Amino acid sequence: MVKHEIENSLLDDDESNIINENGKRPNDSGNKDGKKRIKTKSLYRQPTANELNRLQETENLFNSNLFRLQIEEVLQEVKVKEKTVKRFQEWFAEFKTYLLTLPEDDTEYDLTEKSFVKQLSVKLPISKRHDRTKVMFKFHKFNDIEIIGSYSMGCSISSKLIVDLQITVPAETYTKNDSINYKYHKKRAAYLAYIASHLSKSEIVEEIKYIFSNGCETKPIIEIKPKGKLSNHLSVRLNLACDAEAYKLHRFSPSRNNLRESWLFSSENQENVSEIGPPTPYYNSSILCDITASVNQEFLRETLINSENLKQAVTLLKIWIRQRNLQVSGYIISMLIAYLVQSKRINNIMSSYQIIRNVWIALKSSEWDTKGISLSKEQNTSIEEFHEHFPVVFIDRTGYYNICWQMCKGTYYALRRESTLAVDILDNGKINSFIPLFMTPVTPLLQFDRILCFKNLPEVKEAVLNKAPKSARVNYGLDDLSLVTDILYNLMSKGLSNRVDLIQQIVEADFSWSVKKKLDKAKKEGYKEKLMFGFILNPENAMNIVDKGPPANMPEAEEFRAFWGDKSELRRFQDGSITEACVWSAHCWADRREICRQLLDHLLRDKYDIQPAQLQHCGGQLSALLVRRSAVGAQLEESSLRVLQAFDELRAELRALRRLPLDVSAVYGISPVFSYCEPFPPLPALAERNPRRRGDTSLIKDTTQRLPEYIPVNEAILELSHSGKWPGDLQAFRCLKAAFHLQIADRLKKQFSLPTQACASHVDVLRSGLVFRLRVAHPKELTLLRREAEGGVVRLRDGRESVALQRDTVLLPALRGALHGLHQRHPCFGPATCLLSRWLSSHLLAPHFPPTLVQLLVAAVFLRAAPLVASLVAPLSAAGGLLRALRLLADTDWTREMLLLDFNDDLTKDDVAAIERQFQSRDEQAPYMYVVTSYDGALPSAWSRAGPSPRAALRAQSLARAALRYAGTALLADMKDDILETFIPSLKGYDILIHLNPQLVPYSGERLSSKPRKRPEGSVTDIIPVVEFNPVQLYLDELMSIYEDFAVFFYDVYGGDVIAVLWKPDIHEPRDLQILKANGLKPVTIDGQTKYKVNIEAIIEDFKIIGEGLVTNVTVNNE
Amino acid sequence: MKTTKKTHQFKALELKVNENSVSPHVIYFKEHSVREHTKDKPSGRTLFIVNVPPYADEKGLINAFSAAGTVQSVLFSTSPNTVSTDTNSLTFIKEIEKPSFKICYLIFKKVAELDKALKLTQLNPMNANGHEIKVGMKKWREEYNNSIEQPKVIKERIEAFMKDHDKKTELEEKQEKQLEQEDNEGWVTVTKKGKVQSFARTEKVESRIMAKEERNKKRKELKNFYTFQIRESKMKHIVALRQKFEEDKKKIAQIKQSRRFKPF
Repeated sequence: MVKHEIENSLLDDDESNIINENGKRPNDSGNKDGKKRIKTKSLYRQPTANELNRLQETENLFNSNLFRLQIEEVLQEVKVKEKTVKRFQEWFAEFKTYLLTLPEDDTEYDLTEKSFVKQLSVKLPISKRHDRTKVMFKFHKFNDIEIIGSYSMGCSISSKLIVDLQITVPAETYTKNDSINYKYHKKRAAYLAYIASHLSKSEIVEEIKYIFSNGCETKPIIEIKPKGKLSNHLSVRLNLACDAEAYKLHRFSPSRNNLRESWLFSSENQENVSEIGPPTPYYNSSILCDITASVNQEFLRETLINSENLKQAVTLLKIWIRQRNLQVSGYIISMLIAYLVQSKRINNIMSSYQIIRNVWIALKSSEWDTKGISLSKEQNTSIEEFHEHFPVVFIDRTGYYNICWQMCKGTYYALRRESTLAVDILDNGKINSFIPLFMTPVTPLLQFDRILCFKNLPEVKEAVLNKAPKSARVNYGLDDLSLVTDILYNLMSKGLSNRVDLIQQIVEADFSWSVKKKLDKAKKEGYKEKLMFGFILNPENAMNIVDKGPPANMPEAEEFRAFWGDKSELRRFQDGSITEACVWSAHCWADRREICRQLLDHLLRDKYDIQPAQLQHCGGQLSALLVRRSAVGAQLEESSLRVLQAFDELRAELRALRRLPLDVSAVYGISPVFSYCEPFPPLPALAERNPRRRGDTSLIKDTTQRLPEYIPVNEAILELSHSGKWPGDLQAFRCLKAAFHLQIADRLKKQFSLPTQACASHVDVLRSGLVFRLRVAHPKELTLLRREAEGGVVRLRDGRESVALQRDTVLLPALRGALHGLHQRHPCFGPATCLLSRWLSSHLLAPHFPPTLVQLLVAAVFLRAAPLVASLVAPLSAAGGLLRALRLLADTDWTREMLLLDFNDDLTKDDVAAIERQFQSRDEQAPYMYVVTSYDGALPSAWSRAGPSPRAALRAQSLARAALRYAGTALLADMKDDILETFIPSLKGYDILIHLNPQLVPYSGERLSSKPRKRPEGSVTDIIPVVEFNPVQLYLDELMSIYEDFAVFFYDVYGGDVIAVLWKPDIHEPRDLQILKANGLKPVTIDGQTKYKVNIEAIIEDFKIIGEGLVTNVTVNNE
Repeated sequence: MKTTKKTHQFKALELKVNENSVSPHVIYFKEHSVREHTKDKPSGRTLFIVNVPPYADEKGLINAFSAAGTVQSVLFSTSPNTVSTDTNSLTFIKEIEKPSFKICYLIFKKVAELDKALKLTQLNPMNANGHEIKVGMKKWREEYNNSIEQPKVIKERIEAFMKDHDKKTELEEKQEKQLEQEDNEGWVTVTKKGKVQSFARTEKVESRIMAKEERNKKRKELKNFYTFQIRESKMKHIVALRQKFEEDKKKIAQIKQSRRFKPF
């Protein structure tokens, strides 16, 4: 009986399970006779036809199950809620009836006079500059008002939902002559004002505003905030289109002129019809846009309305565009889809995944800047003609209107670039491509290597406009911002040429104002245009010092000279050619990273007289942190390179050593400096000034306050040639290793006369003033350490010691090599790592983040395959690298996600899946931040095992978020020159502060607050100095080892003179006294009973005792 | 309950570093009594101390208990379980112990002195009689200077160690050779270096042999002979697909939890 019941319950469960799986078809399972079929919950149940279909379909039609499920989820999420739809329908019905009651008006107004405005009690939504235009306006009532755009088609996104309404203005409103000199626009504005005036009396409208977008102030529209709760979900925009019969379209062909020069440049309005100026395609399009609106709308509706999959694709692409911060409208995307349907590249039978993939592929290979596309069947005007006048061409249904008339080349290139990336991401089977594509927003600061902002945009606009050619000014008419953007874009793209992969303008010029206010007045009160240019640099060319021009005797040379001005000079190159060239000054890598800045500064000053002080360059910040303060002029890369060079020489010498029992077969550097990741690369040690004291610089002797300068060693691993004679006992093995160290030291001294210092565990060698610490490594030592006999069978087990040895001798050499390679490919990797190390350290988190983990975090930003990294191209500025690493640190949910670094695409899909499974089934002891590299092998996440703890990681995350917020506002909004403030820690909230004697703190001269000074000059030492003697680190190690049960320690390893202590949360609780847990307890009497508590006072006194000579003061924070 | 009883046997006294210490640590001690006493910790004369501060050294503790009598020896340890401290295995590089709170065995010369120690009401400070415990800069400096050795000294140490080691291995070999001999009942023990060849008994070798067996088994098997096998392989395919599906669903659930699929 019991068994039977269980079976029944299983059956019920299963029923619901199936419904879930076939979420879309819940009816199917209802029809089936559940009793007849034998079902179990196991995976081995008989499949239903539906299930089989779905499983197989997914394999074919979608990237993966995961991708399909995610698409479904996200579409569900952005769908407009039914409740909202219903509410809007009710509202719209009411709105429509109200609007259609609009009274007819037979009077004819002269728009230059005030009578019209007075009667309406609302202002005209156009600026004073239109005053020159004289028109007579008579209101003709419209027939209908309709919903257009994405909402009508059902592919809108519920967040920030905008419903577009359209009123078609009857043809009678405009006369034949109205197409010129903004007459059309003025009448349109009057029409709009007429409607606005009527609406402002309505009860179902809460607020009504004029709005224009993208700085296009000649074509305002009405924004309506509906009454009631509806306004929380959406806003309504009322657009005016023009009846298609009003004008013949060919009037607005790109090469026709409709805006007279005389109108634009002279304040007096002289209507000289006979004079025809240069073509005005831009102005023409602003009218065409209205005339063709209905035709195109109808066409779109036909294509999309019954095609669910196409609509889904549009929605997905719109999400993608918004996340990628591309300034492309949903309208263009819908039109593109329609175009691809028309050209039979996609159809509704395809799944939404296939459609978006095809769209991306089409975009990737498109060339709208040279070979535009057209939706029109009969081509009236040739596409070439459009290309002459527009940067990007995508012609609409009628064949006259360029849909992309406002699109700048930069935007199109950005769109194409992102599409290319999107296809790449989709093709990368190893990552969950959905999240980087659709779920990760990018911000300009993270997206671009450099950003150029203007501190005083109106002045820049003025300067550029004054020098702009007349024909261009006529073309753009009153739309100054677009003109300026276009001119600057062209200048920069010519100047930077192959140094950049992409220049994208970021324009923020949307403005909405009350209908009761005049535009000019409202603008003064709160309108600020914003224009920035983002640059993605080309890693190969961005740092070129020379821009080579044409040979001097060619005609192009003249043009080159004209463009570059006094920067251009005649140069003879090594290959014998004599050409015009521009040479930029750069002495070190840090300077070379700033060449683009020099170039832009020069061009803008030369062409438009804009001073460099007016420009704000983001991306070169923080370079002050990459120079040593105690030795001015010691740049990070150059110092690191010197170490690497000395190491290479040493390596050659080690290989050449003779008379060793075993030859040195390989030498690997493992210190961070070998991959440019050391913020303070060692500088050559100087000889002791006092000749009498030179003899014994190897020892620390005096007890006074001064310490010898802290000199770190550069560690390296030696591999010896193969031998079977190593002893099988660990101690004997180590003894023999020590003998080798001794021998190597001896030979180096004799053969190459290098100063050496042998010791049981390593050899120190001095080369070019730098100390290298060499260790012999052999896999047998590892085996011996892991060896463990069990029942006569030898097994290998990992202990703490063996893990450490494996990390340092097996994993680290490989990883260091890979990181070095990464720096060679991306020269900003090293500096960015140093910045992150210093940032973490400056917030006293250094003891919690092992250096290698920090390096891996930054490496993840530079490796493309890393999921969740906002932008998928490696940054080309150190500060950019830092910001992206901070974003990665802050945005990753470390409890659920891991970071996988695949350096050379070594991992297969199965490997990745295996690592993921391992991650899912990890236990509590697993590191909180799970970071796996392709070298880890049997030790996944080897580098984050030592930390950080969840608390430290969470603190780092919240600090990172704050830093990003600060950097965003400081750089782009407040135009501050530096963000060094993010490196200043707060000492609030800690329980105890241990103050150290700054004289004894290594790197104390490198602190941000200390003054830069020159390094004393002198000859390089020839005696091994005191190395790796860091009393603070020794003190910290002792503290952490003794008091790890009671407190957490925070310290800035780069010259900090305070150690901050935080008690563990349970420090004040009474405990039991047990033999193994008696540490640090004191007896206290609570309610007559003897209990035990942690002896906090004694521990604080211990801090002083243990740090005798180093600690100056311990302060307790009593808050 | 047992543990609390035990703790009451401990006597608690403050251990000062010097006369001026304001808030010193409290150490707990009692007579060392276990079932089997070892030679180095004789019964009746050994005092067992817990919660000894990390910087306390031998002389310091001798000073602290100087009121009770003369101390014969002091043994430090991190856990009470070590049976005997001296190990007969050779060590070449001494492992550096991480500093921490310690456990200490104090062995007095006489039994009476232990009793006296248990009755003490106050301990003397550790820094007395011209002794000063080494901490801070002084300690680190000395440690650094000691770590630098003359090559000659190291060489001597190496030679001495290798000599000992060679002797030991020789001895072991001899013992193994003896094992090779037929014993009274005619049994021969197989060893690594004997005449009778055997394979090394390590995990690696074992798994290799097992893998080989497995391979052989597989080769003999026919995969698609019976109808049920074909049916099963089809089913397996479906199961694999389902499994993937389930896994993906779990992942989605996870992502949902963390981001809730709100793109904006």
